[in-house]
Amino acid sequence: MMEKKTRLSDHIWVILLSILAVAYLYPIFMILINSLKEERAIGTSDIFNLPTSETFAGFTNYINALGAQGFARSLGYSVLITITSVIAILVCCSMCAWYITRVKNKFTSALYYLFVFSMVVPFQMVMFTLSQTADSLDLNKPWNIWIIYLGFGAGLAVFMFAGFMKSIPLEIEEASMIDGCNPIQTFFLVVFPILKPTLVSVGILEAMWVWNDYLLPVLVLDIKKYKTIPMLIQYFRGSYGKVEMGPMMASIMMTIIPIIIVYLLGQKQIIKGVAAGAVKG
Amino acid sequence: MAGISFRHVVKTYDNGVTVVPDLNLEIKDKEFVVLVGPSGCGKSTTLRMIAGLESVSDGELYIGDKLMNKVPPKSRNIAMVFQSYALYPHMSVYKNMAFALELAKTPKDEIDRKVREAASILGLEPYLERKPKALSGGQRQRVALGRAMVRNPEVFLLDEPLSNLDAKLRTEMRSQISKLHKQLGTTFVYVTHDQTEAMTMGDRICVMKDGIIQQYDTPQNLYDYPDNLFVAGFIGSPQMNFIDATVEKAGDGFSLCFGEARIHSDKKELEPYVGKTVVVGIRPEDFHAEKQFFSEGNVIDAYIDLDEMMGSESYLYINYAGQKMITRVPARYAKKADETISLAVDPDKVHVFDKETELAVCH
Ligand SMILES: Nc1ncnc2c1ncn2[C@@H]1O[C@H](COP(=O)(O)OP(=O)(O)OP(=O)(O)O)[C@@H](O)[C@H]1O
Ligand SMILES: [Mg+2]
Repeated sequence: MMEKKTRLSDHIWVILLSILAVAYLYPIFMILINSLKEERAIGTSDIFNLPTSETFAGFTNYINALGAQGFARSLGYSVLITITSVIAILVCCSMCAWYITRVKNKFTSALYYLFVFSMVVPFQMVMFTLSQTADSLDLNKPWNIWIIYLGFGAGLAVFMFAGFMKSIPLEIEEASMIDGCNPIQTFFLVVFPILKPTLVSVGILEAMWVWNDYLLPVLVLDIKKYKTIPMLIQYFRGSYGKVEMGPMMASIMMTIIPIIIVYLLGQKQIIKGVAAGAVKG
Repeated sequence: MAGISFRHVVKTYDNGVTVVPDLNLEIKDKEFVVLVGPSGCGKSTTLRMIAGLESVSDGELYIGDKLMNKVPPKSRNIAMVFQSYALYPHMSVYKNMAFALELAKTPKDEIDRKVREAASILGLEPYLERKPKALSGGQRQRVALGRAMVRNPEVFLLDEPLSNLDAKLRTEMRSQISKLHKQLGTTFVYVTHDQTEAMTMGDRICVMKDGIIQQYDTPQNLYDYPDNLFVAGFIGSPQMNFIDATVEKAGDGFSLCFGEARIHSDKKELEPYVGKTVVVGIRPEDFHAEKQFFSEGNVIDAYIDLDEMMGSESYLYINYAGQKMITRVPARYAKKADETISLAVDPDKVHVFDKETELAVCH
């Protein structure tokens, strides 16, 4: 009796989640099919059609996109910005969360709420002052824009790290201090490795955000000199007066793929990380 | 190698609770000292102050002849086994034990030798490559011990290291730790709830209550000459019997009177208590059912509420003159529940305590 009931609800869940998954995947699927079609077959009327033998373009769109001016450079910038930002966020925010959870006083709890609060401030509210500030501080280059990302990513990262950090027994750190660690060693040899599941989940979340981000680099970077991939995709539209839908779809596909790979690799850890925080946080 | 010395040490936690009000404790070099006391009495706090994990609010703490109040844990050269194991979850058993040595830049082959030696003593060889989460509670506890063993500290701190082991393993580990202490010749401070551990392992036992030392002495002295009611009741199992009795003058000496019993004592200390009520403490094994102990005044005819047969001896829960007592008599003299038994109290083994101050008057 009991078993049957749970089975039925299991089925309902599977159906619901499948619908949800299809809803999420469908846009990607549309981009995929259109990226394989010829330019003329990508119109408002036939956008939902699968490629036929006539309209199938093979990988020409991909080759065009790759060959488009600056694609390799943009890819390089995107990779650089994503990697530097994510590393900065992981290292700085985990240390910060460690401080906040282990040193209990008014200052640290104020700091914690400041971080949490920063998550709810909409980007649009600060973006114009931000671009001014970034210019005057010379933070408008692909190799130092990570400082800005660190600032915007810190809220979520500190929140997640602090949640997990609370579940690490203090005795483990005390044991390491007795074993001869100074605080830096305690952090990097003991706390940091224990944080691994959370590091992976925070890393993936932040990587997806930085990789896909359009608004911030457009506002901050010098558009003429430096284009990230999302900026380049936008550029496919505007450059020659007409919209080059084929190469655009292809480059969107190519942009999505790395992040999907990263996600799949870290998927198990993400679930662990979220669960670990959820149970004990 | 070093002794430990607490001088007027106070520990007040951040929330304003003073857990240890004024601790004076001298632990000699190479000594095995056991801290016992009821839960929450400040044993772990005391241990953690030695380790440097808890700051000393006031007073002075010396290890050897160095003042330790401001010295960080890593510079104190101590090893500690935590109540909750505190193993590094991301490291294998081997790495857990090797960690401190690696930090101290010990050569690889020496680390390997020490770790394997400790693992074989603790029976951990099959698990060296496992992570702590794949171990049972007892195995984890042994890893925690091993982690301390491989080092060569000046002071060993152990916080209930055997609490999660089964009876057999516990007995085994008990002798292991005692052996380790003899081998290393290091100062050991050992916290436990377990009387047997305290009595069998400690050179000296420190009995604490509410952060105050009740008595600090050898196991034998604690047992034979408890300073107060608390220590008398805390040490020994089954517990010492406490009986209200009045002191009467009897010839040269005194009589401790309860019910029909008139137990003779000629201790001078009883003089001021004549006519007053005192608490008489009698250990369960100091009641005798054998006839040769019977003499004038020390025999009680008690009703047995309950009997527990333990094999070679029997615990009798008796009721005499409205007071409940536990006695321990050889099985062949024992009787069953609801019967009456005649028992003689050994007058030389009687402890007398002041009813008000709870301090010992005489033994
Ligand atoms: N960080 C802390 N802040 C405030 N009070 C604390 C803290 N740690 C312990 N205490 C209190 O100090 C008292 C002594 O604690 P301690 O851990 O030393 O007891 P214990 O003797 O080791 O007990 P047990 O045998 O249960 O381990 C307890 O009443 C406890 O509530
Ligand atoms: Mg304790």
